[in-house]
Amino acid sequence: MSDQLFRTRMNEDVARRSHYGKFIFNSHFLIFLSIAIGFFLYSLLSLVQTLTPSFWLDVIISLVFGITLLPSYRTLFKQADGVFLLAYEARLKDYLRAVDRYSLTLGLWKPVAGGVVALILMTVGHETIEMIIALLASIFFYVMNFMIRKEIINSEWPVLPVSFGLIALTVLSIILILTEPILIVLPLIVYAALLFFAKKHSHTSMDWRKLIGYEEEQLNKYYQTVSLFTNVSHIDKQFKRRRYLDPLLWKPKEAAFNKKKMYEYLFYRTFARDHDLPMIVLRLLVLFGVVMVWIANLYLSVVIALFGIYIIVLQMSQIYTAQAYLLWPKVWPVDRSYIQESYVAYSHKLVFVIALVFSILFISIHPGYFYLGILFPLWGFIINRSLSRAVYRKEKELSD
Amino acid sequence: MVLQIDRLTGGYSKVPVIHDISFNIDKGEIIGLIGLNGAGKSTTIKHILGLLRPHSGEIRVGGVTADEDIEAYRRQLAYIPESPVLYEELTLKEHINMTAMAYGIDETTAMQRADKLLKIFRLETKIDMFPTHFSKGMKQKVMLICAFLSHPELFIIDEPFLGLDPLGIESLIQLMVEEKERGRSILMSTHILATAERYCDRFAIIDEGRLTAIGTLPELREEWHMPGATLDEVYLRITGGEVYDV
Repeated sequence: MSDQLFRTRMNEDVARRSHYGKFIFNSHFLIFLSIAIGFFLYSLLSLVQTLTPSFWLDVIISLVFGITLLPSYRTLFKQADGVFLLAYEARLKDYLRAVDRYSLTLGLWKPVAGGVVALILMTVGHETIEMIIALLASIFFYVMNFMIRKEIINSEWPVLPVSFGLIALTVLSIILILTEPILIVLPLIVYAALLFFAKKHSHTSMDWRKLIGYEEEQLNKYYQTVSLFTNVSHIDKQFKRRRYLDPLLWKPKEAAFNKKKMYEYLFYRTFARDHDLPMIVLRLLVLFGVVMVWIANLYLSVVIALFGIYIIVLQMSQIYTAQAYLLWPKVWPVDRSYIQESYVAYSHKLVFVIALVFSILFISIHPGYFYLGILFPLWGFIINRSLSRAVYRKEKELSD
Repeated sequence: MVLQIDRLTGGYSKVPVIHDISFNIDKGEIIGLIGLNGAGKSTTIKHILGLLRPHSGEIRVGGVTADEDIEAYRRQLAYIPESPVLYEELTLKEHINMTAMAYGIDETTAMQRADKLLKIFRLETKIDMFPTHFSKGMKQKVMLICAFLSHPELFIIDEPFLGLDPLGIESLIQLMVEEKERGRSILMSTHILATAERYCDRFAIIDEGRLTAIGTLPELREEWHMPGATLDEVYLRITGGEVYDV
């Protein structure tokens, strides 16, 4: 039963990933990704030619390892398991072993990518034997970090500080190894002691509430990442009050205080109070801005800015989807066309502001080509119009 | 006539859940919609709200069908669902504003109406908070405030007393009576028959998707030959319900 349960859950998770994977890794994104990775590796290899061995370079290598060597623990448990699997807890050993393997393989791309980057950087001033020891140690740290955190999740200890602690420990351990390979003994002892400590403090039986809660958190994190690229309808949305934004939130004046403006009033609040969306938009702006400044190539700057606007607009359309299917728009005496009209008014204004930021950035990097700055608001308008229409069409099809 | 339901058959898919239901609600009348779990009360309510399309039959609110003029149809209705449905990103005041804009009420009037309701339900200090952080009963009170400030012709209340504290129940009953005196009508689905018996003018009893009886309590007693019986007793007889010994 344990094995069959795992297979069902794993197949469900794999199906979910392949479903969203199709949307994320579309042809446009794959082209962008290939260009970005190619350019990154090219820049990195060029950079390595100019670098000289230093302690700070070792710190950077250790940080790369640190942030990529902490795999997530995916139990694949569901709410109902807390009731229905309670009696089967003793017979879940095979299931738990299988989810361990699944969790370790699921996030394997991160240490592989981190390992490649670190390996390139380690060619500066490190012997082959040192590199091999560091890579072997990183495999050990990957497994140990996973096992320690897994035990902590099933204990009274808070997971977040422990996770940060493990990242710090990995960073320090790699620094030690790169400084003096023989010092690998120290991290090995510390890790073994920590695992012993974690096992000692872990509950003898399963803490179902915490394990299920942690799995929900992980799944939600996955959905949030996916929602950067495509609509995720069943994401567990949370909102933050953010009182400090209240004075900035638009409110219709007396004459416009009516059904025509009510959804615009709602959309601004949904955006401003969304748990992640404003921060995601800000992060994307910063990320694409940094890449534009770093590359400082005219054509690539245009491509990156256009792609950045596309990703941000894609993000924003989830607000419309979330609102259109709620109960109240179907009950209130307000024609549904006002939802679309309000969304158009709200989103065009917001996209214009975002596109303007890209224009300003572009003009400051390439002042000689200032006139190309007009491209971005235009692109924002076109892409917002086209994506919104696709969402309206989908909504109409579903309502029919 | 505020609500006219004529031979309504409908459900969620092609298989009908409710069959051939007909009843009316007059101005200033409170009707109790009564039935066992799964009898078809919520389906009937969803049809009245226009959330489901009838397979056959017709529903008129204030003489208008949803197909003729959806906005005029809905303007005469206010709905309070069994479980509170709120915007997680809006404060209590913003819920009031949204309702006011939807029903064409200006902000000043809306706040004047809301102030009284906020005091009745003791929520006046929580106006700038997210109602989603409230207890279930308090969320239900937010639903009630939004519905009662819109002054519709017909209130549709699904299990109105569920989750409310005794003070909240008393306040709601008072409000319902006040609205009835103003000529507004109420259709409420409930399992609390003792309260329904005291405040409803008539009862529509639904069983297995069919309207098995409708009338005042004396009319039901007479029809089922149960003089002096309570609504509970009449209801159990009509639905053929048996209470099994545990």
